[in-house]
Amino acid sequence: MGIDLPTTNYQSDLGQLTFERTAERTLLAERLGFDGALIVEQHGSPVGLFGNAMIGAAWLAGLTQDIKIAAVGPLMSAYSTPVRLAEEIAAVDNASGGRLIVGLPLGIGVQYHAMGVVNPSTARARYREANELLLKSLDSDEPFAWEGDHFNVPYVNLWPKPLQRPRPEIFVPAAGSRETLQLCARYRYVYQAVLVPRATLLRNAETFREACRQEGYESDPSQLALVIPVHVAETDAQARRELEPHLLWRFQNIFRFPFDQSFPPGHVSMNSLRGMMAGGYRSRGNDPGSMDYDELINRGWLIAGSPARVRQQLADTAGELGAGRIIIVTSDTMPSWLEQKWMTMFAEDVMPTFRPPGGRPTWDRERAPAYRTRSEFAARASKSPRPTALMDGRQVDVRTEYLGEELTSFPRT
Amino acid sequence: MTRRWLPFYDELAASRRVVVPEHPGFGDTPLPDRIDDFTDLVLHYADFANALGLEAFDLAGYGFGAWLAAEFAAFYPERLSSLVLIAPFGVRTPDTPAPEMFLRSARRSAADEFNGTAEHYGSYLVDGGEDETMLQDYAELSAMARVAWNPRYDRKLDHRLARVRCPSLILRPDEDRVVPAAQADRYAEILPNSRLQVLSSSSGPLGHAMIAQDPAGVAHAIGSFLDMPREGDSHL
Repeated sequence: MGIDLPTTNYQSDLGQLTFERTAERTLLAERLGFDGALIVEQHGSPVGLFGNAMIGAAWLAGLTQDIKIAAVGPLMSAYSTPVRLAEEIAAVDNASGGRLIVGLPLGIGVQYHAMGVVNPSTARARYREANELLLKSLDSDEPFAWEGDHFNVPYVNLWPKPLQRPRPEIFVPAAGSRETLQLCARYRYVYQAVLVPRATLLRNAETFREACRQEGYESDPSQLALVIPVHVAETDAQARRELEPHLLWRFQNIFRFPFDQSFPPGHVSMNSLRGMMAGGYRSRGNDPGSMDYDELINRGWLIAGSPARVRQQLADTAGELGAGRIIIVTSDTMPSWLEQKWMTMFAEDVMPTFRPPGGRPTWDRERAPAYRTRSEFAARASKSPRPTALMDGRQVDVRTEYLGEELTSFPRT
Repeated sequence: MTRRWLPFYDELAASRRVVVPEHPGFGDTPLPDRIDDFTDLVLHYADFANALGLEAFDLAGYGFGAWLAAEFAAFYPERLSSLVLIAPFGVRTPDTPAPEMFLRSARRSAADEFNGTAEHYGSYLVDGGEDETMLQDYAELSAMARVAWNPRYDRKLDHRLARVRCPSLILRPDEDRVVPAAQADRYAEILPNSRLQVLSSSSGPLGHAMIAQDPAGVAHAIGSFLDMPREGDSHL
């Protein structure tokens, strides 16, 4: 699979079904009590639905009421300036009632070929500057000029502001380059650990915690999110029967691009490339696409089994890594009815263990910044200036003018 | 093909003084952060020529180097006695997409550049071990990407090369599997005082790696051109 696969291979009904299943899965996740639903952004290949994660997030936010929606994530460099992304973030955050989580990936190598216009050899520097401009746009209460190396924006004045202040939570999906982990630590982002061999994952987690210490604080487990396939069934054997073919399909087909597509020139530094080659990135031991189910389980590429086993494995894995969040990778080939089965069993038999008594998701425990009803809005409303207009030579209050001389002291916010 | 004195350079040097700089980011030449477009590279080479005390000279370039030589010529036409472009790319060709330089596996690259005869050119392809070669190739491709990732042509050469009035020679191989013939053709169209020569070799088709496949033949074509009597109008 590559970014040059022609769309003569695309089947419209399957495409539509994939969107439909994404909606179904998200609504089910909400009803079952998952904390969030996450979508990705990919370009130029069948790997992802959304070429724009913010659009996907807006759609899902419109379909749901309470669950957090994570758009992981927009490629900042693809926007002509990150202020455009800030506008999208503010819009979706407001429209969703403050439920947005935003991811800021650098972008895997193939995206640079697929997008074409962002230079991989200057992408990291552009990303760093975009990150600072994005944060300032979201946070600033007055207009400012940005005069950088990569962006020159004379008037940055973001209206509206995001509902969550100072900003929605930001995840950075990363394979673990030191530079990215340092950035996560500095800005207090969530390091979203994409799946790499277990030993590397452990090293990365420790590197991240050390980077936080160097920034002067101890990281919270909620700052480390592990991405991993999870499956639960009545017994270990049943879980294997249900999952094995789908899992193998996934590891043998998804995100398997040829080297030259994955490493456009300048995408990695020479030191990183040298390190990768020394670490035997080509070796079979690090390639899940050539492993069988037992190897995948034993090497920690997934968690699967009975509820008891999954509870234990999750606790062990999360504990070992210091991860406070788990992002479950769903199986693209699994039929809807099987997906509903494992998700329901997971919600009833696994999730409560990892929650405070009562089993509520975060969005049902924490007080959201959004008001829920108009009466709450009225109670909270500050005394803002009332809109007036010049009418018949008088400056009139537009909201009460229709009452004419009957107006005495009608309370309006 | 960097970090070594090629047989091709020897052929040229038999009868004239030859200087072969390696571009920033190629060979052992460092790539400063401040170099991120062609004007930076052009100024780099103006400084280089000044450092060598060269006011006017014949300029030749090969492949990416030919694009760079054309850019230099557009900005400093008065410094050139002649311009030679070997298997060039970098102009926008109306009916043919720009050659793909960045999305090619190493194996496919060698096959395409040498027209299937790459196994005879091991010394050109592997330098210091397979891993070290791969790292060096990646570094050099990254240096080219810095200035040529997007767009993959310079549409301004369409009008700027009209300034280059010195005699120009464009050489292309008869069977280039990397760069479409339309590129050399277009350069010949827009350079006002130019000739186009298509080279073949007695031992088979000549491909993009022409300076490796037939160093004597390519050097001879260049030598004949440089030895031709010049008309007076080689300055702006």
